Amino acid sequence: MVLQSLKNCLWLSCILRTPKASFRSTASGGLIIQSVSNDVYQNLAVEDWIHDHMDLEKQQILFLWRNSPAVVIGRHQNPWQECNLRLLRQKNIKLARRRSGGGTVYHDLGNINLTFFTTRKKYQRMENLKLVVKALKALRPQLDVHVTDRYDILLDKEYKISGTAAKLGRTSAYHHCTLLCNADKFVLSSVLKSPYKGLKSNATPSVPALVKNLFEEDPSLTSEMLLDAIAKEYAAQHQIDHHVTLINPADETLLPGISNKTEELQTWEWVYGKTPKFSISTCLNMAYKDSVLDVKVNMDVKHGKIEVCNIDLPEQWLPPGLYGELVKSLTGSKFCPNETTTLVTTLLRVCPQDDELHSRWSLLCENMIMLM
Amino acid sequence: VNSSSVFTVRYFRTTAVHRDDVVTVNTPAFAESVTEGDVRWEKAVGDTVAEDEVVCEIETDKTSVQVPAPAAGVIEALLVPDGGKVEGGTPLFKLRKTGAAPAKAKPAAAPPPPPPAAPEPVAAAAPPPAAAPIPTTMPPVPPVSTQPIDSKPVSAVKPAAAPAAAPPGEAVPTKGARSEHRVKMNRMRQRIAQRLKEAQNTCAMLTTFNEIDMSNIREMRTVHKDTFLKKHNLKLGFMSAFVKAAAFALQDQPVVNAVIDDTTKEIVYRDYVDISVAVATPRGLVVPVVRNVENMNFADIERAIYELGEKARKNELAIEDMDGGTFTISNGGVFGSLFGTPIINPPQSAILGMHAIFDRPVAVGGKIEVRPMMYVALTYDHRLIDGREAVTFLRKIKAAVEDPRVLLLDL
Repeated sequence: MVLQSLKNCLWLSCILRTPKASFRSTASGGLIIQSVSNDVYQNLAVEDWIHDHMDLEKQQILFLWRNSPAVVIGRHQNPWQECNLRLLRQKNIKLARRRSGGGTVYHDLGNINLTFFTTRKKYQRMENLKLVVKALKALRPQLDVHVTDRYDILLDKEYKISGTAAKLGRTSAYHHCTLLCNADKFVLSSVLKSPYKGLKSNATPSVPALVKNLFEEDPSLTSEMLLDAIAKEYAAQHQIDHHVTLINPADETLLPGISNKTEELQTWEWVYGKTPKFSISTCLNMAYKDSVLDVKVNMDVKHGKIEVCNIDLPEQWLPPGLYGELVKSLTGSKFCPNETTTLVTTLLRVCPQDDELHSRWSLLCENMIMLM
Repeated sequence: VNSSSVFTVRYFRTTAVHRDDVVTVNTPAFAESVTEGDVRWEKAVGDTVAEDEVVCEIETDKTSVQVPAPAAGVIEALLVPDGGKVEGGTPLFKLRKTGAAPAKAKPAAAPPPPPPAAPEPVAAAAPPPAAAPIPTTMPPVPPVSTQPIDSKPVSAVKPAAAPAAAPPGEAVPTKGARSEHRVKMNRMRQRIAQRLKEAQNTCAMLTTFNEIDMSNIREMRTVHKDTFLKKHNLKLGFMSAFVKAAAFALQDQPVVNAVIDDTTKEIVYRDYVDISVAVATPRGLVVPVVRNVENMNFADIERAIYELGEKARKNELAIEDMDGGTFTISNGGVFGSLFGTPIINPPQSAILGMHAIFDRPVAVGGKIEVRPMMYVALTYDHRLIDGREAVTFLRKIKAAVEDPRVLLLDL
């Protein structure tokens, strides 16, 4: 396999500027590109960029990418429902929302991502996945892998090694899927388990599945080998050279406008704010002095912000003025632990200097923040 | 097997109602024999849309399909609730066509950009309102300018530069244009504004100034920073000198460490010194506390500050990190502030404002010399602290920073 450097892909920019005109290029029918970055936002931005700017009529594109640890939720999902946000923050695992539908996945360098870009007319998920299976079997004929009608790839008829999602635009479309080579299953299962109780939402739910790494089946396999095999099969099917062009998602000259896309994918408004409206109805069990208080909490969260907040505290547990302030401050603010912490500490500083009051306040607020 | 049955949205049948210019847009047919999907609305009733702008997305079987407006107009009605199920051909929404298309910067493909209320989370990014009441110092970063460790919070501080600058109206120009735009004050900002006003109204606030010759501290740092780094794995900054000096002075003048309890009309004297160090974050001012500074040495203080800085950077500051504090230090020097009056951070009685260090000619032993000088300001509650006590207090800080041996010898 030959990896071409960026310099040699000037013809890539030719394609951009003369979309429908004929272009002279060495390849026809297909192009294979691979990202040099492991940043999930940058790579998702590349997908957006290709989807928006490239003409896929004459050639289809296969995009290969890997990410450092990240959880990627589908376009219409609820991150609170899908993963353990506290654990993500602790472990410094990024959270991204992609633009395609589907469920939540965990990425790390042991997982490879494939995106198949075609025109909308030529959108064909099954064919793409069959291509992947064919590549795997060519590499290791003894592998028992097959595509299900849910567009998953199963290993040994039991274990999910690949999930799929897609986006259909007006004229172009893409289908992307994961492939588990050697990902950290322990982290995967712990981050994809949501600890948040009492959530009611009509966001797209994920369907959990048993997973396995291909590496477990055959320890001689590496991500690089898989990428290579798939590129080879794609090249064969599209009758093009087995060349993989490297792409730097930070290159604004090659991909003008890419940094805006990357930035947008990282904004709170996109990652959290695009969560469909949901409600929380739960009970805080607060251990205070010698007793345990059961405090019912009901909240509605829209666009990631608290729309309605009801906390059922015993009367006079907090001075009513203060309780009112708390609810008023929370309403309209982000459903976010940092924002809430800042808010409640500011409020705390206007309270009388009363240790009892302060400890009650802290207890209540810490418990509220745990919901986020 | 192939999706030749997919119609591009623009050309499929738009139903009946062509009366006036109201058009009903239907669900596009789905690909690959999928039968139903969920609708997620991007636009609401009454929204103006341009041709091709995304009105909603339909999620079918892990695929997200955008449904654009067939023409420019106003959304008249949404015919399916958010998250509702639709099949190919189900009526989705009604669009009242208008002639012109609103100028929309973004191309249709991606979901529409968030509305310009983006300043929300970034408290200080809206230059107009609260910039005015807050004099220079509120937004500073705890440890002093030079530290890379603390440069993380500084980057978070960037928006807060606004206060130093503009009086309101100047903000948003294009040459000759005279429009204005309104941004709702976010919750944090409202609360802070309210508290600041309360503080001003309750305390009789006064500020006294002094200047500090930073030569000795600089020299101490130059001589010892490498060993310090080696032993403690921390950078030796200026903050520890000021925090320690403040604790020293607070123990010497306990009334500055005390506070008036307005409800009981008592003066509360505290025998511990918890120093709040003001940090600006995009979400607003936070003041993490270094506790029991009276028992700490320079290394302990640097460590505590570093740890708080790390927590602030990672957004992990908890309530107990920020609760309390008997005295606040704020550093306007990071922004190059020369001189200024900090505002007391209730419920405390005083605040020390540090400013930038500039080389100045000063008289030393009858001769003019150029020394690195810092102006410092102490704003105090005159109901509790008298002028003499305030000045003495500040001079003690000056003495301890200018010559750390004062701390050693308890002078």
